[in-house]
Amino acid sequence: MKSSKTAWGLLAPTLIILGLVGLLPFIYVLYVGFHDWMIFAKVSGLVWAGVDNYRELVFDEDFLAALGRGLRFTIWTVSIQMVLGLLLAHLLMKKFKGRGFFRAIHALPLTVAPLVVGATWRLLTIPGLGPLPFYLNKIGIDYNIGWSAQQAFFTTVLMHIWHWTPFVTLTFLAGLSALPKEPFEGAMVDGANQWQIFRYIFLPMLKPVILIALFLRIMDALRIVDEVWMLTGGGPGTATRYVGIHIWRVVFPMTNYGYGSAMSVLLLYFIIVVCWLLLTVITQAKREAGT
Amino acid sequence: MKTYWKLVIPITLIVLVATVLGACVPAPPPAVEPPVEEVAPPAEVPTWWAEAAAPYKGVTIRGISESTPPSKYVLEVLVAPFEKETGINVEFEVTSWDEMYTKAIRDMEAATGIYDFVYIEQDIIYAYLAQNFLVDLTAFSEANPNLLYPELEMDDFTAFIDNFKDAEGHVYGLPFEAFLKVYLYRTDLFEDPEIKAAFKEQYGWDLRPATTFEEYRQIADFFTLWGKEQGVELWGSTVQAGSHPAAFYEMFETIFPSFGVYNWGINMENWKATTANGGALDSDRAKEALRYWVEMLEVAPPEARASTWDEVAASFAGGRAAQGWVYGENAAWIATDETRSAVVGKVGVALPPLYEGVLDDAKARRGYIGYYDGGAMGIPHSSKNQEAAWLFIQWISRKEIQGDFAAKTARIVRTSTFDDPLVKEMDPKVGGYYTLFKEHGDLFKGAPPFPFHAPIREVILPYILKAIAGEMTPEAALDEAAKAVDAELVKLGYGQ
Amino acid sequence: MKQSARRKGLKQVFLYIVWIALTLITLFPIYWMFLISARSRVELFSNRNLYQTTIFWENFVRPLFQGVYGQYVVNSLIVATGNTLLVVVLAVLAAYALSRYRVKGGQNIFFWTITNRMAPPAAFMLPLFLLYSRVLRIGDLQLYDTHIGLILVYCVFNLPFAIWLLKGIIDGIPTSLDDAARVDGASTVGIIRRIIVPLAAPGIAITALLAWIFAWNEFLFATTLTSVKARTITTGLVEFVTVVGTNWGEMAAMAIISLLPALLFLVLVQRYIIAGLTFGAVRE
Repeated sequence: MKSSKTAWGLLAPTLIILGLVGLLPFIYVLYVGFHDWMIFAKVSGLVWAGVDNYRELVFDEDFLAALGRGLRFTIWTVSIQMVLGLLLAHLLMKKFKGRGFFRAIHALPLTVAPLVVGATWRLLTIPGLGPLPFYLNKIGIDYNIGWSAQQAFFTTVLMHIWHWTPFVTLTFLAGLSALPKEPFEGAMVDGANQWQIFRYIFLPMLKPVILIALFLRIMDALRIVDEVWMLTGGGPGTATRYVGIHIWRVVFPMTNYGYGSAMSVLLLYFIIVVCWLLLTVITQAKREAGT
Repeated sequence: MKTYWKLVIPITLIVLVATVLGACVPAPPPAVEPPVEEVAPPAEVPTWWAEAAAPYKGVTIRGISESTPPSKYVLEVLVAPFEKETGINVEFEVTSWDEMYTKAIRDMEAATGIYDFVYIEQDIIYAYLAQNFLVDLTAFSEANPNLLYPELEMDDFTAFIDNFKDAEGHVYGLPFEAFLKVYLYRTDLFEDPEIKAAFKEQYGWDLRPATTFEEYRQIADFFTLWGKEQGVELWGSTVQAGSHPAAFYEMFETIFPSFGVYNWGINMENWKATTANGGALDSDRAKEALRYWVEMLEVAPPEARASTWDEVAASFAGGRAAQGWVYGENAAWIATDETRSAVVGKVGVALPPLYEGVLDDAKARRGYIGYYDGGAMGIPHSSKNQEAAWLFIQWISRKEIQGDFAAKTARIVRTSTFDDPLVKEMDPKVGGYYTLFKEHGDLFKGAPPFPFHAPIREVILPYILKAIAGEMTPEAALDEAAKAVDAELVKLGYGQ
Repeated sequence: MKQSARRKGLKQVFLYIVWIALTLITLFPIYWMFLISARSRVELFSNRNLYQTTIFWENFVRPLFQGVYGQYVVNSLIVATGNTLLVVVLAVLAAYALSRYRVKGGQNIFFWTITNRMAPPAAFMLPLFLLYSRVLRIGDLQLYDTHIGLILVYCVFNLPFAIWLLKGIIDGIPTSLDDAARVDGASTVGIIRRIIVPLAAPGIAITALLAWIFAWNEFLFATTLTSVKARTITTGLVEFVTVVGTNWGEMAAMAIISLLPALLFLVLVQRYIIAGLTFGAVRE
């Protein structure tokens, strides 16, 4: 029927580039992960270690704790972002005066580099010197992200939501823009209410786009480094040392390439499994709803 | 179809604008000539440099450094005249401290030869030497006598250069910046008669910079309370206790040595940190020191828990602390720069408070009272332009430029610089920092000569942060840290 | 009838209140960034007012005219725009192939593309660095510290994302349109150009916008794979973090300047998003 040669032709440039800058480095990291390699060890260089790094990792309390913190952060931020993004996209679809303006404003945080987001929020919240603790203190709230682990955690969550919800909204808008209008008009004519339209037409039709937004948010939240490091430095104590930061400290300042590579591979595997499960669950649900 | 083109037009526009801008933006504008360069006889300098550099004309050398004022000074003031003199092009990358390490180490480890000269902080030189990353400059200059600037005067460098020598006394880096971490205090507060009277009444001794930790704490308590009573935002002491390696450094480079715990509490004979094996990291003295430092947070401004070296200097410059341990390179701007500091002319400099016996240890070279930090410029083995790079690092170490360099950036690497008129003029303005530097510099010391550095720091850091956050007691934190260090050292191949 | 109009009016008012509140929350940190950029360093930690009457121009002037940041902005523009163009073209082709053809293992390829974006990047810097400075090297020619190098490497995170987003959108375009065009004798490329691209334009616009922003704001790849020539503005920003105090004012000033092109791009693309949402329904 359709020639798959053409398809391969269309895919080829993508596969070549991703193979070069994606797959090749991955193979190297996988290889290093099976070795001991610390730059400042007495004997520096790759020494075959088999699966020792992975065996150690499974019992590495620091790594597991960082992974747990990263998961907690991801669950909080991604769920709120998804709900908020969905609502906002739904609202922005309606015609009203100033829609373009609000949409532009809403997307604004996205244009700020993560590093700068972290720096700005740090200056906003730095105890003693920033305006937020200062004014909160005036109304009797003691806010110190250098001291309270809870406050530091939720400040990172809030910052992340502020920064990345527009991404979810825009992704949904992209998906919405390609949807046929007829089902909505049909439903309106049939007298369906807002909620019914949202639940039975909007949501199912958006499913593929919701999936991609969810995937991207989960993987980015789990890998997060720049923003949080600038804001809290992973503190107080280790309260906001999420798994991305932990790996980054092991690979760069500690220059423990072998162990760091193993961590990366394990985290990558973990994210793939989570995403695969989500994909299966959601496509399954789609099939059931579709029949 | 139409929509499609509408989309293409803005994108093309942006590309066009970018390209046009790219063509328009000039290369970095020519740097301002430093005043001292004008004073130096211009006829003498060119001949030797131009001659020596003749074979390397047109070569491009690339270096990396941390974006400190000295590096910025080199970039903005010293590079352009060098390029003019020699015809060698210099690309000098300045970036943040951790970026610099990551990039330099990766380049040298992989031997890619991207960098021809690198900034080497004093604390990492031993690790670089152990990995054989650097060119032996002594041997190199002997092998290339025509490239050795006749007026380099190696003997004029302060004893700081000893940090960059190997066991045979060969030099691997020319000192580039050096400073002490000193005790800063507010002269306006310490000399206020009313405050002095109130203080004497309460504690029974005359208010002056503390010499012991007990005195230091009493002063801190006093001013914290005084600030509260007066309704001003003033606290007793800065503490560099943010979640950052900076917290580790204040504890291990400043507080530990002045408590008499040297070399991070690691026994360098057998590479062990636990007291059971002859280390001192979990010793009673070390625990006392960490507890003292963590408890200092009670009388520190609230930002102390989020302070790196950055906020410590900002707190002090903002007039929010009566005293504190501050890096000397900050002393100059805190004491003189009105666009950055609210305490201009109110800054005193003193030796840090000490535990009993530490001063004697330091005088007998058994120990040290605080941190003597700085860095040098060296040449990686992997560099393909070692000759040109060697010329450049001599250029920025020349004696005749040091006065202006020191006065502007508060770093001194040559003995003769202390007597430079520009430095002498500056000295009283910064509370006698340069005098203290000159007279007592030898009581301070850089990081211990470990062939590793960052890996062990990263192992200890989380425990220190947990002690600050109250997740662990200081005692438990050090017990755990010492065990973790012992284990990590074995992994690194030391102390099996 | 009257009552429902009143209810509608109330609802409108409520909606506007929500939007205005959201706008204020969204703008506040950016507004604070602007305040920082307008303050001298001595003011920064002593002045907690939420307004500002003076502007400390040096924060803008010094880095822009005495530093090399102008060049960094240009580098960022070239890299982000180049990458966006490459990504959008390749992603449309790939998404079309995955959407319309039965390729052997197509599902797996589709999933594999996104896994490229999942890895925690730290450990991947060393192999990429080696690849760029040693492996792909002809004489003195190397990908390290070049615009094209960054344009290629940014595909790692932008291409998968664009393919995933565009495949969902192309899936929504009825195949009957393709078939009709094919009967008329159009080639595959012709179909993509004349049917797919116009119908997916709003989606492509948003994809391009997001890809551009990701590339514009990227830090780790840029700092690893560039030195002086192709340095981008985000990597330039860390130069303000120094041992003698982060120069927050200049950093914020440069951040605001680096925000402007992104904003411009956002406003330009907005028009197509709106157009898409109003007329984007598939005409059959």
